[in-house]
Formats: sequence, C-alpha cells, structure tokens
Amino acid sequence: MGTVVSIELADDLPAARLTALIESTCAWLHEVDARFSTYKEDSEVCRFRSGALPLDDCSADLRHVLDRCADLWRDTDGYFDAYAGGPLDPSGYVKGWSVEVASQRLAAAGSTRHYIGAGGDIRMRGDRPWRVGVRHPWKADKLAWVLSVTEGAVATSGTYERGAHVWNPVAGRPATGLRSVTVVGPDLAVADAYATAALAMGEPGLSWLAKRVADGYESAAVTDDGRAFTSAGLPVAT
Amino acid sequence: MRRSTAAAVGTLTGAALILGVRLSVQPPAVPVAAAAPVDAGGEPDAESTGEPAPAGTKKPSGKKTGAPSADDEKKKEEEAGLKAGTYKGKAVQNQYGTIQVTIKVGDGKITSADATYPTDGFSGTINPKAVQALSSATLEEQSADVEAVSGATFTSQSYVTSLQAALDKAGA
Repeated sequence: MGTVVSIELADDLPAARLTALIESTCAWLHEVDARFSTYKEDSEVCRFRSGALPLDDCSADLRHVLDRCADLWRDTDGYFDAYAGGPLDPSGYVKGWSVEVASQRLAAAGSTRHYIGAGGDIRMRGDRPWRVGVRHPWKADKLAWVLSVTEGAVATSGTYERGAHVWNPVAGRPATGLRSVTVVGPDLAVADAYATAALAMGEPGLSWLAKRVADGYESAAVTDDGRAFTSAGLPVAT
Repeated sequence: MRRSTAAAVGTLTGAALILGVRLSVQPPAVPVAAAAPVDAGGEPDAESTGEPAPAGTKKPSGKKTGAPSADDEKKKEEEAGLKAGTYKGKAVQNQYGTIQVTIKVGDGKITSADATYPTDGFSGTINPKAVQALSSATLEEQSADVEAVSGATFTSQSYVTSLQAALDKAGA
C-alpha cells in the first residue's frame, strides 16, 4: 500500500510479549498488502479485476471489502468510489479495514491500550484517552486541533498532500473547496471513507458531514480559504 | 436508497416516541401502547441482514387481538367494561403536526390501536436528533503535547517530514 504504519503499544506486558504482538500485527499488514495490492499482479485484487479469479472463488475478506465499498459508495452519494480511477481500487477501504482488524486482534490478544496509525489515519483503544493532534493544513509542524479519544478512530484527508490529485468522482474533476477533513468515529475504514468523500464534495461536504453525526461520526474541516468548521460533539482535548 | 430508508425509519421512530408520550396520559390506552411495540419487536425479522427497514416498516399498531399481558391491566379493562366500537381520541396539535389516536374495542378488550401522524414534511423535524450544521471555529495553530498525529500522509516521503514520524522517533 506504500503506507507507513506506526504501532504504539502502551500495555504493561513483558517486552517479549510486546515484540510478539508487534510482529503478528506487521505480519497481518504484510499479508493484506500481498493480497490486496493493486500493484502486485498476483494479488487477489488484481486477479479478481482481471477476471482470472471469479467472484465466487474470492476470499471472504475480499468479498467483505467489495461489499463495504459498495455500501460506502451508496452512503456517500457516490463520492467514495473504488472505481473512481477506472479499474477497481479498493485501497481506500482496505487500509482502514486492515488496521481495524489489526487493532481487534491486538485487543483479543490482551492489549488494552494501543494505537495503530497508517498514513495519518489512527485507530486506538485504551483505558484512558489518547491525545491526538490534527495536522495544520498549511503548516506540517503545527496542529489545528488536539483531540481526546479513548476508543475509536481519527482519519484525515487533505488536498495539501496530493494537491489537485484528490478527485471528485461525481463531477469528474479535481476536488476543490476543502483543504482538509478529519472524521472521528468508531470504525477507521468508515471514518476514512467519510473524510475522503467529504473532501471530494468540496464545501457541500460540510453539510453532508453534519448529517454523519447521527451515525456517530464527528468531524472537523478547513476550507481552501482557511475557515475552520467543527461538529458540536468533536472530542476536543481540554 | 439506503438514506431514504433511514429517513423513513426515522419518521416512524419519531412518531412512535410521540405516540408513547401522548398515550401515557390516557390511562385506558396505555396497555395497548405498551404492548404494540413489544409485539412488533418480538417478531423475528424477515431478513437477517440487519437492515433496519423490515422492522421499521412494520405497522407499530399490529392487529393484536390478545389483551396486554399484565393481569392487573386486564382486570382494569374488564371492570371498566369497555363497550365494543371504534373510538377516536382528540386530535392533538403539537409542533410536529396533528396526531390522533384510534382504538377498536371488541369483547371488552382493546383489539387494535392506531394513530395518524404527520407523514409529510422533512423527517428531520420529527426526529429528535435534528441535524446541526457544523459550527465555524477559529483555525488554530498549536504545538501541543500529543501522542499521535492525524494528517493526510500519502507518501512515505511525506511521512518522513510529519509530526508522527518525529513522535515515532522519540518513542523508539
């Protein structure tokens, strides 16, 4: 996926146990990369989209990913689109989902306090809040918000990294209007998809984000001209 | 499509809430109001997909012929000697529209209860959790002490220059 993953385990466990947990997490993420990469011709995703692998023979994981991409396409009015670039590319869902699964597995293996960050999107669990900064959309070394999240996900999408390469799949042109969108909620893959979709929508994404609060997803967004917007329940650290 | 389904469910849920409030001040109707939702919820969902639609589209009234389960309430009804017929409650106007409750009585028991509720208009006005717009805030510029940083970091090059990378380095 070409993404850097940061894993922080803050559990009071023996060093060997922590190392084993990190190793199994990395093994899972590498497995996901091998199976879902759109760059590796022998990956399951590539074999499925070339027609070599029929849907019925796909793994339960891939079918789950395809189902969820379809759900999110509907939920986002088409702005989250695994086919935006032409051929199937579910990476936008796979990244968040693989981290969700990794965090679930860590919890099942006895980790009570950890976070996994992948490409600036973070899934955390804990017995007390984590302090999570949201990058300032113009200054890489500054924060625009500091959030307090005990259990859940924080995902940020921004045009500041890819410039005009953030695509509006509905209008068929580069997205404009919003500089960055951060979504906070229970599931990282959903939060990531929502942030990506709102960014693609541009300013209309602000009112769309407001409606996601009812599903449990809070948000913060910055427009191209530097106006900042937050939902009422955004867990800002005090 | 999914969103419109959710809106419809919101309407019914909102209406059910209003009904509950309204009926609770009319003693004879209480048992029915309490029984109907339980009855609807107790039925196995038509599909196991977990979609809210099947449960939500069920008529909350349900033609329930059995009396409410509680014996006390049963006695009360018999003592009251309910006369067979159809009774309409007073039409009540509230901020969401007009609501009118109708009950049918047969064999001294309430055999059905139904209510009209506003079906037009925007469901958000009925749903107690109305949509609130994002509020405008000042874009801040802080360098507070944090444990993780969320930001759009698409390339490994942008990771190298990110605050998260600095945090990872400090923790390593």
